[in-house]
Amino acid sequence: MEHPILFISLILEKLGLPIPHGPIGHGFLEKLCEPYMTYTWFVMIFLVVVGKLTLSNIEMIPGKGQNFWELLIGGMYDFFDANMGRELTEKLFPMIATFALYIAVGNLIGLIPGFMSPTSSINTTLALTAIVWVTHHIIGIRAHGAAYIKHFLGPIPVLIPLMLPIELISNIARLLSLSIRLFGNIMAKETLLGILFMLAGAYFAPLPIMLLGVLVSLVQAMVFVLLTVVYFGQAQEHAH
Amino acid sequence: MAKLSTEMVSLLGNYGHIGFTFVAAIFIGLGGGIYLDEHFFDGSTSPWFTFIGLAFGVFAGFKSLFDILRTPAAKSKDEDSEE
Repeated sequence: MEHPILFISLILEKLGLPIPHGPIGHGFLEKLCEPYMTYTWFVMIFLVVVGKLTLSNIEMIPGKGQNFWELLIGGMYDFFDANMGRELTEKLFPMIATFALYIAVGNLIGLIPGFMSPTSSINTTLALTAIVWVTHHIIGIRAHGAAYIKHFLGPIPVLIPLMLPIELISNIARLLSLSIRLFGNIMAKETLLGILFMLAGAYFAPLPIMLLGVLVSLVQAMVFVLLTVVYFGQAQEHAH
Repeated sequence: MAKLSTEMVSLLGNYGHIGFTFVAAIFIGLGGGIYLDEHFFDGSTSPWFTFIGLAFGVFAGFKSLFDILRTPAAKSKDEDSEE
């Protein structure tokens, strides 16, 4: 298959930096120049610059930019508040909201020709999921102390040898399903778009898939955040 | 329209991952069983832990389905219908 044209990789190559020819590079510098790394930085810079441009002078009567952010952040805050309680929301809102914005922008950027979704690499999604997974255990341990293990023992003491492995397996399954779902959806979108561009790009063949891609990108970002919030809330509440 | 789409999103979020979680649980159980057989006991117990792991994986999959039915969204839906 033909290589997709990635602008940042081309620019870095012109600057004389080593660009890996496969999805994964070898040396340290080559690993830093992998497309999903450079596009992650691009998304980070994009979010910082847009935030700076729209929010540099906050006013009582919001303008267009400030209005957009107030709607978005306010909506997210209310949603987290309803699902995991005020205390956790105040503590963890910056982290989850950053995940939401990063994943949404990272998914959508892949629809523009010449860009690539950083979330279409399993490395990115697994890193995000690992942070969520470790954090929800930390929340559980901080809320319950050693009694957190009751979450994994099931309701009846006699059934503990049976329930413990089952609960552990279904807990680790969260790690797998959360990361692979985001990765699989976005990579499928990217690959399908690439193939359609190659086959019949001149006849607008990728157009319907791009429409679906917008939907998939937003829905997957929302699903990731929703499940994160649900897991945090479950770790916080008492064992059944 | 706005209400419809929020409901759609919350439904997708709560129930859209059923299939994936189910399969992931089975594969983790099976993988753990194979690991115990081949690497922990060096193949002397093969294939027993593979089957035990698979059984635990299948049960964990069903348990995760059961858990999904008890998520907050499902509860709040019941409350809505009672009002």
